[in-house]
Amino acid sequence: MVTNTKEVKDKDICVQRISPEEKRELTFKDDVCIGCGICSNICPTEAIELSDIGAIVRTGVDEAKISVDEAKCVLCGMCSSACPVDALDLKLDEKSIKEMAEYPQLIKSAEISDDLCIYCKACETACPRDAITIARILPERSDLVTGEIEIDKDTCISCGICEEMCPADAIEMEHHEPTSSDPTVSADINVNKDKCVYCLICKKSCPVDAIKAVCRSCSYGDYDLKAEDAETTGSSFIDDETCVNCGWCQEICPVDAAKVEKALEGELVLDQDTCEACGACVEICPCNVLSFPEDEFGEQGDVLKADESFCIYCGACENVCPVEAINVKRTAVKHTPTKSKSWEKKLSELKTQI
Amino acid sequence: MMILILCLSTYLNIHLNGYCEKYTMIYKYFVLNFTRNIYKNENESVINTHGVQMPKHIVSGLKYLTAVELIREGLSQKEVAKILEMDRSTVSHYLNGRNLSWNSIEVAEIITKFCPKDFLTLTYALVNDSEKTRIIVKTCSKKSYETNIQDSCIGCGLCVDTCLLNAIVLDDLKAHIDSDRCNGCNMCRDVCPTNSIKILEVNNGY
Repeated sequence: MVTNTKEVKDKDICVQRISPEEKRELTFKDDVCIGCGICSNICPTEAIELSDIGAIVRTGVDEAKISVDEAKCVLCGMCSSACPVDALDLKLDEKSIKEMAEYPQLIKSAEISDDLCIYCKACETACPRDAITIARILPERSDLVTGEIEIDKDTCISCGICEEMCPADAIEMEHHEPTSSDPTVSADINVNKDKCVYCLICKKSCPVDAIKAVCRSCSYGDYDLKAEDAETTGSSFIDDETCVNCGWCQEICPVDAAKVEKALEGELVLDQDTCEACGACVEICPCNVLSFPEDEFGEQGDVLKADESFCIYCGACENVCPVEAINVKRTAVKHTPTKSKSWEKKLSELKTQI
Repeated sequence: MMILILCLSTYLNIHLNGYCEKYTMIYKYFVLNFTRNIYKNENESVINTHGVQMPKHIVSGLKYLTAVELIREGLSQKEVAKILEMDRSTVSHYLNGRNLSWNSIEVAEIITKFCPKDFLTLTYALVNDSEKTRIIVKTCSKKSYETNIQDSCIGCGLCVDTCLLNAIVLDDLKAHIDSDRCNGCNMCRDVCPTNSIKILEVNNGY
């Protein structure tokens, strides 16, 4: 008789069923889980139970967000297919069902086009899951300006004013204490031309007119400088494991380089009269959709506000709300086609009856 | 003695409640053999006077019945020997009633008349080989089955893992039973979490 085994490591869960035919393994990653409870809704054998998410977010109760009853779990994989953040994964003989065409997959993605991206890092800053990393390579400062500069070391009195004033830290002096054998305060003075921006501050501030400098960016820039040298290059990276496809990057990107596709569509209905402004929903929301904006006196407000353009309709807020003031209506569940009628039915049941 | 019988009933996966009569013969067989047994040590208690393991004895009986049936179906001794993975001479001996105690055949005959699940699980426990079990069970039992998987199947594969005859495969998240391989044991139906399996006996040969 084949039976399941369960392993719990920290808060991660692994349920296995090994037979001569096949090895099935369901893994749960608690740090990825957003506590929405979709897995528990879709499970055909009621093997998954959502923990008290309210207690976990608000009082920091140290327990996993779901529990899996290995005696009930049949390792069908529905939870894995329906999980909007891929916290659950079923593997058949070490291959994830998310890579198998016969299993329906939620259609969701987030991408940043490197062709369009200007590496402004707005998405990196806005991402509520810290899933985006923008690595940018700035142009060389010396490639953006052109000019000439020379210090007449015979005239120079080593006062150090130019060094102190240079905004680009391009002037380097070798200081030393004057001695009877060498009664000067400086051994040498040089301009680092990779750093100099030809602003002419040194020239203007020199008390003995020892610096000759000219900026030719305006007059000869077109000849001396290449436009492509001024471009910032780089690369963008979205961590698929932590990304929840909320759409913040898409909304905030000034050049429309980020594209997000959401699997669940719907509507967020807030009942302001019932809401007691406890803030549990704000804390659980993985997408920073919900907030209590400050009132006109700068005090913490008590009117719940939602910006649905960032909502993934996971339903975590509805589950955690102690007074049922939030209703997440799901109108569409977009997934790849499946020939299985039971899977089709189960996935469409994630839509709320309206 | 009671302990021995209890051990045996556990080994045979026999539930004493309600089935006692049917198994009386088997108990008698085992009890008889045990009284004659020379106990070498506790762990080798299933040894008869000839030093042959008792399950092997019953397997011989089952193989005999299978061989007879296959010959009746028109197979040659050579073919039967190949199917049952035996020497041709052993098949010949079997068919001539030699090298086999009448007791083994009698017990084997009773086993073939068990309900499909008991027949299958007992044979599998004795033979410990899916393909050989299938040949014995399908040859000695003349029943055929109509299998039907309903659309409520979720493709969890529990039935696939349970089926001792490898009669079930998954295709597009739905189980498919090869009714030619099915012996109607219904173990798949019992484990199915969505009650999607229906197996009907269609042609009772008896």
